[in-house]
Amino acid sequence: MTRPTQREIKAMAEVAGVPVSADVAARIADSLGPAFEGFAAIAGTLPFDLEPATFAVVQGADRTTKADQ
Amino acid sequence: MSSEPASLSLTSVAQAIARKRLSSREATQSCLDRIGRWQPRLNAFMAIEAEAALAAADAADAALAKGQHGGALHGVPLAHKDMYYETGKVVTCGSKIRRDFVAAVTSTALQRLQHAGTIRLGSLQMAEFAYGPTGHNAHYGPVHNPWAFDHITGGSSSGSGAAVAARLTFAALGSDTGGSIRMPAHFCGVTGLKTTVGRVSRAGAMPLSQSLDTVGPLARSAEDCALLLGLMAGDDPDDPTAVADPVPDYVAAAQAPIKGLTIGVPAAFYVDDLDPEVARVLDEAIAIFRSEGAEIVQVALPDQRQLSAACQFVLAVEAAAFHKRWMIERPQDYGPQVLMRLQNGLAVPAISYLEAMRWRGPALAAHRAAVSGIDAVIAPVAPVAAPTIAESDLGNSPDAEAVIQRLTRFTRPINYLGLPSLAIPSGFTRRGLPVGMQLIGASFDEATLLRIGAAFQRATDFHNRAPEFA
Repeated sequence: MTRPTQREIKAMAEVAGVPVSADVAARIADSLGPAFEGFAAIAGTLPFDLEPATFAVVQGADRTTKADQ
Repeated sequence: MSSEPASLSLTSVAQAIARKRLSSREATQSCLDRIGRWQPRLNAFMAIEAEAALAAADAADAALAKGQHGGALHGVPLAHKDMYYETGKVVTCGSKIRRDFVAAVTSTALQRLQHAGTIRLGSLQMAEFAYGPTGHNAHYGPVHNPWAFDHITGGSSSGSGAAVAARLTFAALGSDTGGSIRMPAHFCGVTGLKTTVGRVSRAGAMPLSQSLDTVGPLARSAEDCALLLGLMAGDDPDDPTAVADPVPDYVAAAQAPIKGLTIGVPAAFYVDDLDPEVARVLDEAIAIFRSEGAEIVQVALPDQRQLSAACQFVLAVEAAAFHKRWMIERPQDYGPQVLMRLQNGLAVPAISYLEAMRWRGPALAAHRAAVSGIDAVIAPVAPVAAPTIAESDLGNSPDAEAVIQRLTRFTRPINYLGLPSLAIPSGFTRRGLPVGMQLIGASFDEATLLRIGAAFQRATDFHNRAPEFA
């Protein structure tokens, strides 16, 4: 995934109902750039049947393990 | 200092009051005396409620005289981060926007501590809306580190870290969404427990990120954190994310030796680019654990930068969503840095946010696999000891976010995984600034972290050292 450009960020903020200036959009692009780069290896690779609730399921495995001890 | 009641640990003062060796008034007055001396230099308190605290202390003493013991913390005065709602009290959340906000409910965590008998000293400073890791606050000024007044406390639980370190309160609630308990614990030389997501109810606590927020204590020892966690943990009908599992006896767990436990040392990331003094303290802490009978092994963790990036997406979007109305109606009432960081959340596409949320389960599973057979992982809380207030006063400068991300790079991955982490004082720099380490455990296994932390504190005295008022 590539980081959003200044122009894209300005459009996204307007759609969100919180418009920002071009300067702020440029600053946001710089701030978030490393996060998009850090997540690039994950983005677009997740399997179809994966829900956010999987997190609670994996957490529950630790609870089960502790209860068994 | 050592003869002052305020110098006692939470556990000790609670026992002293219960056994009538010390009155609640004496304990409360001792804290208030120290607050009077230190507050002008620290700016740790948002509000000091001396008269009400002394009246409550007298009531606690009177009840005890009639044989009415109110709970495990009967008559113990405490103050907490100013984001825990208490009915009828102003709760500023460190903000201008909520300067006059009066809570209509009492948070579950506070209710449970009150039920145990605590009384209120006042409220503690914090980063605006808990969104800042340094302790700066554009509206109320920075909190100063009691070990060196020109240095930061860390945040966002800045007042909690400073007040516990300076012995102004026996303990304090903080909150940890990206490192906000562990950072001030590290920078101020106190013990801080970031709990597992779901371990302590968040009902009535100011939200920042519903997926990442956790409630936890800052105190003088792992034993004190164990006492507080045992009182607060458990299910809550007002917070469906709080799990209903039985609450372990954390105090008993903290008494156990650690011989035979295995502690993992990360092979990379957490040991990269450390300040030499932080690296030295880490090595010394590992040696102490080894001497206490723990087995030390190297552990290869999954890519922590990916976890950190995912955490940034989740936090940015959820914070922006909570604040959207005020971002539209009152943008001028935010501090520049907080508004800047909230605006970041506008630029993360929904698909990226949801991918970060969907990946959380596999990421936690990968972490579990990597630490199989390991009871806890030891890592630095931050790569450096406390910077100065001046050098970390970044406002909304273009490089502010990058500096914040570097400072919190060792805490954010743990928040994304929802894991518990105990920050413990582990040494000092040559300049006398505290350095802490974090022990990272399995989900809902705070007991093992408290066991390891308490064993470390039986073998060392870093947690017992207090700053002197200069």
